[in-house]
Amino acid sequence: MSALVRIGTIAANTVREAIRHRVLYTLLFFSILLIGTGVLLSTLSYVERDRILQNVGFAAIRLFGVAIAIFVGIGLIHREVDRRTIYTILSKPLSRSEFLLGKYVGLVATLWLQLGIMSAAFLGFSALAGAAVNGGHAAALVLVGVELALVVAVATLFSAFTTPMLASLFATGIVAIGHLSRDLRELGLQSQIDAVRWVTTALHRVLPDLRSFDLGTQAVHALPVTAADVVFPLLYAAGYVTVLLVAAAWIFERRDFR
Amino acid sequence: MAGREEIVSVTELVKEFRVGLRARRKRVLHGITFGVREGEIFGFVGPNGAGKTTTLKILMGLIFATSGSARVLGHDVTETAFRRQIGFLPENPYFYDYLTGREILRFYARLSGLSGGRIDARVATLLEWVGLVHAADARLRTYSKGMLQRIGIAQALVHDPKVVFLDEPMSGLDPIGRKEIRDLVLRLQADGKTVFMNTHILSDVEAVCDRVAIIVQGRIRYEGGTHDFLDAGERACDVALRGVPAELAQRLEDAGLGLRGVGDRVELRVPEKQVGEVLGAALAAGAEVVSVNPHRRSLEEIFLSAVEAGAEGKGAA
Repeated sequence: MSALVRIGTIAANTVREAIRHRVLYTLLFFSILLIGTGVLLSTLSYVERDRILQNVGFAAIRLFGVAIAIFVGIGLIHREVDRRTIYTILSKPLSRSEFLLGKYVGLVATLWLQLGIMSAAFLGFSALAGAAVNGGHAAALVLVGVELALVVAVATLFSAFTTPMLASLFATGIVAIGHLSRDLRELGLQSQIDAVRWVTTALHRVLPDLRSFDLGTQAVHALPVTAADVVFPLLYAAGYVTVLLVAAAWIFERRDFR
Repeated sequence: MAGREEIVSVTELVKEFRVGLRARRKRVLHGITFGVREGEIFGFVGPNGAGKTTTLKILMGLIFATSGSARVLGHDVTETAFRRQIGFLPENPYFYDYLTGREILRFYARLSGLSGGRIDARVATLLEWVGLVHAADARLRTYSKGMLQRIGIAQALVHDPKVVFLDEPMSGLDPIGRKEIRDLVLRLQADGKTVFMNTHILSDVEAVCDRVAIIVQGRIRYEGGTHDFLDAGERACDVALRGVPAELAQRLEDAGLGLRGVGDRVELRVPEKQVGEVLGAALAAGAEVVSVNPHRRSLEEIFLSAVEAGAEGKGAA
């Protein structure tokens, strides 16, 4: 119980600190601007206006959500070490893993708050344009939140042992590959060379498959979304996040704060 | 004090850092050993770069020893739970400056396991104790350096620890700020707490510390009572004379007793066992004895001799 209180205390303070970032509000502003631009772009077409509006909206939410996750997430632990606030915190009866988990939970909560605002803007613009919204849209937005939680875990892992610059490069690379890993595997499977098939399949298994979290197309085209479409990505993310955080904690527990 | 339990025990502690691209090992602590006893104010003294902060970071579990042992209250310092019994103020502390003094103390209180009404009561007591009631609801970014040190001490005490570790607590403060922190340290001792204080300000050590350890280049050069330390070495007296004839002045110079002075008044430092002989010679030569004062080596002199010994690679003092 007391461990939960300590993690909650760090998380609450992380939210408080993160929402003070100007970069966060800048990204949020541009995300809403881009979601709104969907209305303008949709007027350029005579057909499928709603789909253009909502495709742009989903793309904007994912792009800016990931940007916030990486650029705010990477610096949170580094700043604690750089400013030496971590010295007084870790001198309390709080383990390093609890601290790391608190920072993670706080950043995920911040991102979900941002996602809530972006989702409200998305639904607002859809309503203004008369575009239909259904349960598939809600499921798609939930999975964007899950994807962001996974991206934060990637950022947390790298920020546990390297500089913000390198961590942001690594995390951006992992996210980019994560969106391509499924295509990579499909390409590899068409190869006649066993080694290529083996390597691309292994990469797909090791790297996060972020396309698993994309239900935007189904939602926009009003295709049916089953419980399995949501539950399996949730379980996949839970497992992946657990592995990443255990690895981050293992590294963080052994780090010297010089 | 000698019979009291040793509650900080450092034994053969070694720390190496890896530096440079080739990860070359650099040893900053060379097997240091010392202990802190219950209820004392212990000064850990050394020049910049001697290894004071490295030692303190090991004691706080912020960095890990390469070898050797560091225990506080019988616990290995890598454990977490025992930190309910210790408080820590780092050098030049930085706190979340968007929080107020009251909020930051509540934050640390929750991390320390306090809950509910106990937090508010403890925070109020501490704010009064460190004299920051008037600034309790001001953001920390508006605090002066002295106020930050005081809020830093308050956060170190928020869970009422048995041992308090302070890293350069008077560093960068003006004389009034230093006096305030010195008084707080003495009050901690009066409240039954043990205080471990890293510092290079020797006057503060003389003023408040019961015992000291001197560390130079990662090696302990002295450990013992502050006043034993000050009284150590050959005793001497400062003798002031007036109207010393040239012949006597020459004899004293030849004896290696350097004369300093202006006009007909001279001063010389005389080993205690030679004082009678020098005074007799002076009176016989018609000189006037102005004063004879026992000379006490300052902590600074002893500290500098330990540093010089370290630089020359000599053994422990």
